[in-house]
Amino acid sequence: MEAKKTKAGDWRSYQRVLLPPVKDLHKLDVYEKHDGYKALREVVTTDKWDPTSVTNEVKKSGLKGRGGAGFPTGLKWSFMPPVNPEIPRFLCCNGDESEPGTFKDRQLMEYNPHLVLEGMLIASYAMSIKTAFLYIRGEFADWITLMEEELEKAYAKGYVGKNIMGSDFSCDIVIHKGAGAYICGEESSLMNSLEGKRAYPRVKPPFPAQKGVWGYPTTINNVETLACAPLIINRGGEWFSKIGAPSHPGPVLYGISGHVNRPGVYEYPTGMLITDLIDEVAGGMRGGKKMKALIPGGSSTPILRADMIDGVTMDADSLREAGSMMGTSGMLIMDEDVDIISWLRRITHFYHHESCGQCTPCREGTGWLENIVTRIDEGKGNVRDLDLLLDLCTQMEGRTVCALADAAAWPVRYTITRFREEFETRCLKEMAPSGGVLETA
Amino acid sequence: MGDFIKHPVVDMPERMPAPAIEADKLVFTDDEKKQMKTWVSRYPTADGAIMRGLWLAQEKFGFLPPEVIQLVANEIGIPYANAYGVATFYTQYFKEKKGKHVLDICTCFSCQLCGGYDMLHYIEEKLGVHKGETTKDGLFTIQEAECLGACGSAPMLQITNGPFVHNLNKEKVDALLDALKEDKIPAFTSVTLPQDEDEMGGNRRSDVSSIESYSVRPVSETLS
Ligand SMILES: Cc1cc2nc3c(=O)[nH]c(=O)nc-3n(C[C@H](O)[C@H](O)[C@H](O)COP(=O)(O)O)c2cc1C
Ligand code: SF4
Ligand code: FES
Repeated sequence: MEAKKTKAGDWRSYQRVLLPPVKDLHKLDVYEKHDGYKALREVVTTDKWDPTSVTNEVKKSGLKGRGGAGFPTGLKWSFMPPVNPEIPRFLCCNGDESEPGTFKDRQLMEYNPHLVLEGMLIASYAMSIKTAFLYIRGEFADWITLMEEELEKAYAKGYVGKNIMGSDFSCDIVIHKGAGAYICGEESSLMNSLEGKRAYPRVKPPFPAQKGVWGYPTTINNVETLACAPLIINRGGEWFSKIGAPSHPGPVLYGISGHVNRPGVYEYPTGMLITDLIDEVAGGMRGGKKMKALIPGGSSTPILRADMIDGVTMDADSLREAGSMMGTSGMLIMDEDVDIISWLRRITHFYHHESCGQCTPCREGTGWLENIVTRIDEGKGNVRDLDLLLDLCTQMEGRTVCALADAAAWPVRYTITRFREEFETRCLKEMAPSGGVLETA
Repeated sequence: MGDFIKHPVVDMPERMPAPAIEADKLVFTDDEKKQMKTWVSRYPTADGAIMRGLWLAQEKFGFLPPEVIQLVANEIGIPYANAYGVATFYTQYFKEKKGKHVLDICTCFSCQLCGGYDMLHYIEEKLGVHKGETTKDGLFTIQEAECLGACGSAPMLQITNGPFVHNLNKEKVDALLDALKEDKIPAFTSVTLPQDEDEMGGNRRSDVSSIESYSVRPVSETLS
């Protein structure tokens, strides 16, 4: 058996780069003193960089999106069509952060807002974009105010707007306030929301790079993804690619919640052993309890039982092998006392509530998932309901406009398959007199 | 055919409810109009500004009855149907009158496991109303919220689409409700990063008055 091995190297002496320990870093003058807007200055004012070389540097860094899907960022940027001065192009920075268990982008906006703005500008430069939208979920009203204040200061200093730092690169940033809908985090839904429509996801293709907001070429990246761009310019793609797991490199914000002694957002390299994150970083399990299960990256990533995490590290490859995904790296840790069925019931409620209702398998399926899981939770389910649920998941997965239906089905599928005994114990041993007719909510 | 559907399949809102806002109050000030124009100018088409417009209107009028949506649509310059579609899509836009303070208690999965429902039920009992309802004095509306992006400081709640209150417990709820009765809205609270506590001895921001830590979460009594 292979020994437990972290891919995060000497992580105990890791020096944070996304949230470096600097007092009042959110203030523009402090940020400036700590290499703030240095990367942007170099990019827009020196001959060392042009849009292609910036994109190539990001490709070299191996940065993968931090919004959930883990798509290589440099590659995504290179999908933008050649510049045509007649046709506008847009960047959307995705700060919708609504995936249950995820709370990292908010901390980045609270403690290092200018890094996010600088990242957006560098990305805009790399793709010759003149307008960048920062979409923030409406619930983050206080953080929207904060970002607006800091954006105003950046405008006043000439870091944003016309002829940035005297160069011929101009770019505006617009902060868009959402109003409470999980689905707006999905990129095409976000675009409809920006356009002032109901936020229904769009059928893909066409992909955003071909036909995005207002029908123009668009790139969508997560807040944390874009915050990595200035670091890559300042210290080089190669430096970045050597942090953490080689196949999924970089610093990452782990949002740890649930039954640990010290929940919170932690910055460490990718490829941390899950056991290190729980036992050392987050101070171990609360009250000395045993761990029962965990969610590695937001509610839609498949649940892992405690006996499945030995030697598993937080990067796409290792988590795939273990039977889950990196997602948003928002980890929920559950102790031995958790009633997994009641917990699953709450998740199914979430997806039912958040389905936009466009596709039948999702609109109806999420409702039935909630109904049936609720019935089991209340002790009125039959064992055959479990297979009915799994069948329902199959009918939902990959058959809809966006991935919300999959995101809703996976927790049900994997929680049942990985905790089947517990579900069966809760189910009625004999057929219900009702013959299995469901009571609808 | 006439008999086929006697009742609507879902409860339809009344088509022409009596206006909730008096006609002479149903106007935007010049400043507000200017603000709307600025927003409109930031988007390729006026539609993009509708969400901001509705936010402004909701802050001014408290909620968004049809006549307010119409007013915003006129101001932005888009069809009423589009504005109505947007207003009804998002949960944070209030389509009916709410209490003065709307408490959105998160019970989503992290909060659920750390006492979100305990807090919801405690508040329900204390105020004598269920989730989704408003107290008789019109002071409070309680709602069950989906993940508000603050899972590390669960259980938590949000006050009227504004400040977050983290690390809830019964004492904190008591104090909060008392303060809200006197119209004292809590200030922005910064939750200190654990690594900042270790490396910087506390919160890095010197400009916030209210600071808390991420800490061990309580055990839930109920999960639903
Ligand atoms: C239902 C659903 C919800 C999503 N929510 C978010 C979100 O809140 N924040 C986010 O950054 N990405 C979210 N995504 C992923 C985005 O669609 C998109 O992949 C991501 O923003 C791309 O950025 P990245 O390449 O930097 O990761 C969501 C996807 C789906 C299917
Ligand atoms: S899968 Fe669900 S959320 Fe996505 S478009 Fe279809 S109905 Fe809407
Ligand atoms: S689950 Fe309550 S804030 Fe995320």
